[in-house]
Amino acid sequence: MKVLVFNCGSSSVKFQVIETSLEMIEANADKTLAHGLVEKIGLSDSRLVIEVEGRKPYQEISEILEHRTAVERVLKALVHPDHGVLKSVKEIEAVGHRVVHGGEKFASSVLVTPEVEAMIEECVVLAPLHNPHNLRGLTAARSLLPGVPHVAVFDTAFHQSMPPEAFIYGLPYELYRRHAIRRYGFHGTSHRFVSIRTARLLDRPLEDVRIVTCHLGNGCSMAAVDRGHSVDTTMGFTPLEGLLMGTRSGDLDAAILPWVMTMEDVTLSQLNAMLNKHSGLYGISGVSSDMREIEHARATGNKRARLAFEIFCYRIRKYVGAYAAAMGGLDAVTFTGGIGENSSLVRETSLSGMEFLGIELDQEANRTAPRGKEVLVSRSGSRVAVAVVPTNEERVIARDTVRVLGGVMPSFAVPGTEAPR
Amino acid sequence: MSERELHRIAVVGGGMMGRSIATRVSQAGLGVVVRDISDERTTQIKELLEKDLDREIERWGLTQSEKKAILARIEFTTDVRKTAGCDLLIETINEDFAAKKALIAELDEVLEPEIPIIVNTSTLSISELAQGLAHPQRVIGMHFLYPVTTTRVVEVVKGQVTSEDAFETARRFVRVLGKVPIQEFESPGFVTTRVIMPLINEAAHVVMEGVASAADVDLAIKLGFEFRHGPLEWADRVGLHRILNWLEHLFHETGDAKFRPCPIIRKLVRAGHTGARVGKGFFTYDGERSRLDRLPDDTPKLG
Repeated sequence: MKVLVFNCGSSSVKFQVIETSLEMIEANADKTLAHGLVEKIGLSDSRLVIEVEGRKPYQEISEILEHRTAVERVLKALVHPDHGVLKSVKEIEAVGHRVVHGGEKFASSVLVTPEVEAMIEECVVLAPLHNPHNLRGLTAARSLLPGVPHVAVFDTAFHQSMPPEAFIYGLPYELYRRHAIRRYGFHGTSHRFVSIRTARLLDRPLEDVRIVTCHLGNGCSMAAVDRGHSVDTTMGFTPLEGLLMGTRSGDLDAAILPWVMTMEDVTLSQLNAMLNKHSGLYGISGVSSDMREIEHARATGNKRARLAFEIFCYRIRKYVGAYAAAMGGLDAVTFTGGIGENSSLVRETSLSGMEFLGIELDQEANRTAPRGKEVLVSRSGSRVAVAVVPTNEERVIARDTVRVLGGVMPSFAVPGTEAPR
Repeated sequence: MSERELHRIAVVGGGMMGRSIATRVSQAGLGVVVRDISDERTTQIKELLEKDLDREIERWGLTQSEKKAILARIEFTTDVRKTAGCDLLIETINEDFAAKKALIAELDEVLEPEIPIIVNTSTLSISELAQGLAHPQRVIGMHFLYPVTTTRVVEVVKGQVTSEDAFETARRFVRVLGKVPIQEFESPGFVTTRVIMPLINEAAHVVMEGVASAADVDLAIKLGFEFRHGPLEWADRVGLHRILNWLEHLFHETGDAKFRPCPIIRKLVRAGHTGARVGKGFFTYDGERSRLDRLPDDTPKLG
């Protein structure tokens, strides 16, 4: 079936049309028919781009002031005789939507009903920068494509299986009860997808393997996937915690913050921007937030770029050890995301000296790993496999849409917790 | 009553206030056109605006790419007619009745009748400024408090003929700026100026009588009532010449003795010691406007 996937940001709408089915998922044979985006929504020179395999990308500039208009234009472009890919919007059999935060309400992807929409609205307080835009796209698409089922896929859902010892912070418990402050974790669709693919690659049942998944992209996070279930992850209440990222600090001593506020006389919004936009690889190196540029500067002797690189890899190594301990053993480490898939140097440095855990990297295979392919880069005798698995968020959303509609995935789950709903 | 969507805002006058408003509006994702009187002025405004943004980057509040995006949404012009097509206009030229009156009359002809014109003022009468226009109901007053970038409150002032529509749009505009609108009717000094002036004036009297030093008066009020600055330092930061102006204006309008300017303020202004900007007022300041003569107890403390 043809599934339309939407990923709506504050001023952008990304979309893909994916041909998929339960059989095609099984064979890993689903196909992207078209993809594109609308950007600069709210301005008079908004840009719509649509790309269809084997054709030149088509783009148009026009005034698009809100998400609803953006969704309208996307549908129009998809059925356009020259640059479209569908004869009629009726060919779209289902729509999948990315929603960042599902709070404690959603432990899996779900068929959207008015009640579900209201519950997503209740999660806005947890992700004020993302959920409102996700919702705006969802509402627009539902009213423009009323005859087809819509499915919401959450970044947080996969990590809802974490036990309380992994998700409760060492703060007064009232904060969890009153404000639902706890670890949620993000990149859930990616961690789930690559853990399933890793088990396939090892030719072992997912229920038998303990995998540490490393999603290293713009944002970076790791997860301990114990026999198919996320039992811990590095990102927390927000996507700031854990690994060092392009411009985000990752783990730090929280007592630093009131200190900095006092010493530097910064406002809350400046502090927030400092942690999210001026830290990480960029903040330490002063060079760039882009790992390719960091690696280049490091190679040409830039000391701070080298330091940023070392910190980045050290944190990954530390969490691999921690998560092996959390799961009582380790069968595979999987890398994905822009950095995880493309930087052999990050993979090599992060996993160096971990033979004691049974991790033996095949240096040659690691360095020559082909782009865009699922491959093993560990030695054949290595107790722990090391895999590189490209992630594809839109495809996971399309797959979940098919699974939810096919009844293969429990469409609803609310774990019993004490936090407010 | 139709809700007018705000997509493009015109700012007339590129002083500190105008730049700050233009930045905020653009940051919120709206388009801005800034109008000033000459090409030299607009070039200078653009440079100053970039400097403001660079300073915020240094304070970690903004990134280079955000700066680029903010600048990309701001246009500059010297032509009043280029403001046509905006959804709301705000003027931030000098607090001069005749100049504002002439500008508003010109704008009244250029802009569609339903476009609100916001007059940025702390003392002038909205009703008087709107008098004689073809569409006086669109004129509204607004009073931004110092410092414009961080103070969260804006007074939205209704003149005698201001329409409900224009007023509502102005209030929504304040929300776009990320600030809180306070609804008021026209009256000398509105709310904030009228309430704060006697406090500053009284603090100056206390100093003049020798009850306590300026530093002690300020520290007592600051700590006692959890103010960010004491009243005298606040007056220094706003500029004592402005404080004197406001006091004289309120005294003149109301005839109330509580607004009669304390002689010490007049003395400082006459000596050119108008506050933080020149380095000297009630207190002394360095080039970055940081206060130099703080009491040992007047420092931030953890715990």
